[in-house]
Amino acid sequence: MRHLLTLWLLLVVTGPALSADKPTARELAFFEKKIRPLLVQHCYKCHSRQAKTVEAGLLLDSRQGWMTGGENGAVIAAGSPGESLLIQAVNYEGLEMPPKEKLSPQQIADLTRWVRQGAPDPRTGDSISPIRRTIDIDQGRTFWAFHPALAAPLPPVENPAWPLDAIDHFILAGIEAAGLAPVGDADRRTLVRRLYFDLVGLPPTQQQVDDFVHDKSSRAVETLVDELLESPHFGERWGRHWLDVARYAESTGMERNFTFPHAWRYRDYVIDAFNRDLPYNRFITEQVAGDLLPAKTAADRNRLTVATGFLAMGPKSLNEPNPKVFQMDVVDDQVDISTRAVLALTVSCARCHDHKFDPFPTEDYYAIAGIFRSTRTLFGTGKGQGNRRATGLVSLASSAPKEATPSPAADQKTAQITKLTEQLRKARRELRKLQGPPKGKKKGKKKSNKKANKKAPSKTAATPQQLKQLRNRVRRLNRKLKQARGGGQGNTKPTGPVAMGVQDGAPEDCRVHIRGNVKTLGKRVPRGFPQVVHLDSVPGVNGSQSGRLEFAAWLTSAENPLTARVMANRVWYHLTGRGLVTTLDNFGAMGQRPSHPELLDHLALDFIENNWSVKSLIRKIVLSRTYRLASTPYPANRTKDPDNTRFWRMNHRRLDAEAIRDAILAVSGQLETAPPKRSVVADIGDANVGRAGGTLTKLNAPSRYRSVYLPIVRNAVPEMLRLFDFAEPSMLVGRRDVTTVPAQALFLLNSPFMLAQADRLAARVVAAAADEAGRVEMAYRMTLNREPTDGESTAAIALVTAHLTSLPGQNTDGDRQQAWSGLCQALLACAEFRYLQ
Amino acid sequence: MFPELVPGSPSRRELLKAVSCGFGYAALAGLATEAAAADARNGNPLSPRPPHFAARARRVIFLCMRGGPSHVDTFDHKPQLMADDGQPVSGKKGRKLMGSPWKFSPRGESGLEISELFPEVARHVDDLCVLNGMYADVPTHPECFVQLHTGSFQFVRPSMGAWVLYGLGTENANLPGFITLNPPSRVGGAQNYGSAFLPAVYQGTRIGQLGRPLKQATVGNLDNPRLSPASQRRQLDFVQSLNRELLQQRPSDGQLEGVIESYELAFRMQAELPQVLDTAGESQSTLETYGVGVKATDDFGRQCLLARRLAEAGGRFIELSHANWDQHGGLRKRLPANCAAVDRPIAALLADLKQRDMLKDTLVVWGGEFGRTPHVKKQDGRDHNATGFTFWMAGGGVKGGIAHGATDPHGIEAVAGKVHFHDLHATMLHLLGIDHQRLTYRYGGRDFRLTDVRGQVVHDILT
Repeated sequence: MRHLLTLWLLLVVTGPALSADKPTARELAFFEKKIRPLLVQHCYKCHSRQAKTVEAGLLLDSRQGWMTGGENGAVIAAGSPGESLLIQAVNYEGLEMPPKEKLSPQQIADLTRWVRQGAPDPRTGDSISPIRRTIDIDQGRTFWAFHPALAAPLPPVENPAWPLDAIDHFILAGIEAAGLAPVGDADRRTLVRRLYFDLVGLPPTQQQVDDFVHDKSSRAVETLVDELLESPHFGERWGRHWLDVARYAESTGMERNFTFPHAWRYRDYVIDAFNRDLPYNRFITEQVAGDLLPAKTAADRNRLTVATGFLAMGPKSLNEPNPKVFQMDVVDDQVDISTRAVLALTVSCARCHDHKFDPFPTEDYYAIAGIFRSTRTLFGTGKGQGNRRATGLVSLASSAPKEATPSPAADQKTAQITKLTEQLRKARRELRKLQGPPKGKKKGKKKSNKKANKKAPSKTAATPQQLKQLRNRVRRLNRKLKQARGGGQGNTKPTGPVAMGVQDGAPEDCRVHIRGNVKTLGKRVPRGFPQVVHLDSVPGVNGSQSGRLEFAAWLTSAENPLTARVMANRVWYHLTGRGLVTTLDNFGAMGQRPSHPELLDHLALDFIENNWSVKSLIRKIVLSRTYRLASTPYPANRTKDPDNTRFWRMNHRRLDAEAIRDAILAVSGQLETAPPKRSVVADIGDANVGRAGGTLTKLNAPSRYRSVYLPIVRNAVPEMLRLFDFAEPSMLVGRRDVTTVPAQALFLLNSPFMLAQADRLAARVVAAAADEAGRVEMAYRMTLNREPTDGESTAAIALVTAHLTSLPGQNTDGDRQQAWSGLCQALLACAEFRYLQ
Repeated sequence: MFPELVPGSPSRRELLKAVSCGFGYAALAGLATEAAAADARNGNPLSPRPPHFAARARRVIFLCMRGGPSHVDTFDHKPQLMADDGQPVSGKKGRKLMGSPWKFSPRGESGLEISELFPEVARHVDDLCVLNGMYADVPTHPECFVQLHTGSFQFVRPSMGAWVLYGLGTENANLPGFITLNPPSRVGGAQNYGSAFLPAVYQGTRIGQLGRPLKQATVGNLDNPRLSPASQRRQLDFVQSLNRELLQQRPSDGQLEGVIESYELAFRMQAELPQVLDTAGESQSTLETYGVGVKATDDFGRQCLLARRLAEAGGRFIELSHANWDQHGGLRKRLPANCAAVDRPIAALLADLKQRDMLKDTLVVWGGEFGRTPHVKKQDGRDHNATGFTFWMAGGGVKGGIAHGATDPHGIEAVAGKVHFHDLHATMLHLLGIDHQRLTYRYGGRDFRLTDVRGQVVHDILT
């Protein structure tokens, strides 16, 4: 009822302004002859009360219908065809209506004429669109994911002797409630292998296995876990999990694939952050707003700069001719990555319309979009070859001290740059104020012209002299800044080290882009955060900045109901093979509900309490009894809970691509465990990947480094990683596919890489023992961390012998080596090698 | 179409993905054809699955002309353009209309006009369904090329071949279901045959690379340089004995079953695929018909011949590539050379398919990312034109000997029977028995489709 009243008021208030006079007979005749038939024929199918579904909530079968408008607001500005969405749509400017075929020029002219007349329309009828949907934010808050995490008491269990810790309590209660029983614990050999791969992504050596198996101390597991958490390889393993989510790549991808030669700095930043156990809330803050955080040293400043590479890493369509479209695509990537990676919410669905399932109106999207629109994204890329959108990069302090002792010179320089940047920003802002709207707008539509004229005399009373002075100042500052950054005059390319990242631009709220289109702008939305998660403790956007700092505070607030849950769930998934919420990247209505809500909350609260320490979280999980279970199934359980949703056993998991490759190199003795200085892509420099034939050869050159350091170029991911389900680097991937395809088998059986590694391993095996049985034992222990059974040993020796006899030369050293290589390859190719029991 | 994939569930994780050797139980049983039961899909994402409705086509061969072939010089006859040769164009400063330097004449019973550049294809005119009203969004190569293949140049999306494979599976478990011959490494590269958010089993298998002769192309890891087939079989038996041992400890572990099957399949594939790719067994006259061995037509002739062999062997989506059709200059010399390189091979392919009674359920599609401007700046070159251009289809349930849609009298803009790439995709899927609105995949909380929120099936061209 109140709704009706509002509308009625609207009608009364705006009515007279729309058509002061009653329509003349001539106007009505024109409507009946030209307009009504046109609307009936071309529009009513989707925009009338007879329509099966009323598209966009818009009715065109009554005057009130188009006055109220649909999701996009009123569609006719009576008297002003230029400002009427309807006229834009039939002209296919932005919207395209009718969608199937454009109206004829005559029809469009008629409609335009009608609107110019003031849209005289005799049709009466209900004005309230039957499906105009509004999102009820309060209703939205009732969804589980938006509830604050709650500490639940430990549930009672029938077998209190079983749990080692709180996690086990929650898990066992679930197991018992389902009428299941947990399987036995994994044996030591299985556990040590599991821990090595899960924590550092590498297999244990024979010695490491033996040490653990024979360690009788009651704290043997703790000791090993702590040792692994302190290993520099920990960050290489867990950093890579984050790089999957961060869609890390060293090229733009898309239709023109330009390299990002500096992306590797972000990769190294992430690895380092996990190794240092940077608190997760700080980790997110640095990536979203590192440039706005204070830094004590130049090294610190650099690290924070590099962190923001997170926002610059998305795929880019470099040939986009429209800079506005390009900007909004970059912004969209940033809205999407920040909300989905951290919150597992698909806010970016609301770019073109209100979210269909979750409580995010379009305004929420543009509230965040405004933050990123007030941000400059610097991703570099080489100019030319159809690259219309190259940008600069962020300069790093070149003499970043290796130790904690900052060099005074570098510090001074950084300080100078910061000062100059600030001065320049100020001067520019002033200039903008005095100049009024930029020149380009004056050429544009009448609308802005009018506005400009109205505003101009009242506000900006700058004398030409003032303007000139200011312009000179901007120019001077620009020059100084360039010099300070180390670039010579006229040389825009910085010579020192650079990184991808973001900086604040001119702060400005963003207007709703109706249907996501840059040409159809709706109302301006103040920068802010999705309303459904309203946090009193987080300050609103600082108007003089982009707002990323406050956005980061909102994202990482302990009160944000999603952040800790989402990360705890990611960690749980990587250690068990199944998330408590199985849709890791979607905690919304279309995602799955948690299988263990109390456990998820327990982990999330614990995570926050432990200062967001990822290492502590991991430690807690791997020390639980749940984690230490065997993976062999109980037939009875399997029938009742085939998916193992209750975690009554450990899941049988295939290693991911990196772990398989690293393990092969490790056992063949070829793995280079030290990280490379940078990346192959940095050596290649700026290039268009598709065009530079040699580039691809360089990318595919054999490498002995750990897989996390291989060049990750979009559309050119290294073969072995691609074959074993590496994360598609253009997408946010919380959970990788696990496929089993013949192409993998062919790689393991025939590829030059496998043959070469098998040879190396064979050399080690042959050297390690003199007799055949001894060699077979060595081969098994090195690859599978166990001894062969008698049957296996016999079969293995038979394989080697048969191979040897099939060779024409017989029994030369080379032949023998080759025969053993055949066995070694078989062991590297068998399922046991690449599955975690 | 599938609910959101849930890890750990055998119905999804273990079955759909882990056993996604693509061949699964059928392969184990030694069955490699579509004989696989309809419900085999439960266990295997690549086994054939029934379409939404009766299919007119079972497979697609897409002849992709990279660079944007000129429509007004080939399949879109514009007498008015000839008449106005040399005239300025309103709204296009400094440009003049240029009539086609080549003659058009009515062909076949239908009397459709085709230029003299395609004398051999013209013999099949009564099988061609010429789409003269094609249009796309932006006249730049990379965008249009990627949009032609994935429906979107704004976002990374699965290619149409991946969608088709996802929708229908493959008819021969021993071969990749989606093969792309000599695709370009630029203009989107692997994205044009990638699976994006679809499971990786649906991505295209690339053989060769544009710019290098197909003759020298090899499929990676198909043969072992050291071991004879017998020795390798012995090695494989050993691997499989280890795998079975493990399976014994954990019976009915779908992943392990998948591994075991994938090895058997790989072993068969490395025997079968080279046979399909090896054209040595073809008769000399066949090779000649396709133009294999003649310099101008050798490469595309091989591609067409391979396409036929792959189609016959059960391939689902086969794409061929030819470049470069981007004649900003040298039109009079380079366009005829291009046409000559593909004309004979394409005609041979059509004839061959027909003779084997395969054209009726093979949809052949010809076209590039856009067409070219009828007006020119330089004397002898045409520029990009995405507002109106031509594709043609043949076989697979489309009417033959018809032209659908039209550009304006000069051939600048599509004005009637307009067909966007989205519509092309919708129509192609329709012919394959798939409702483009129902073929969806959930990613990031949303159901995606090849045609996004667009696409209209062009019903007028269906038989």
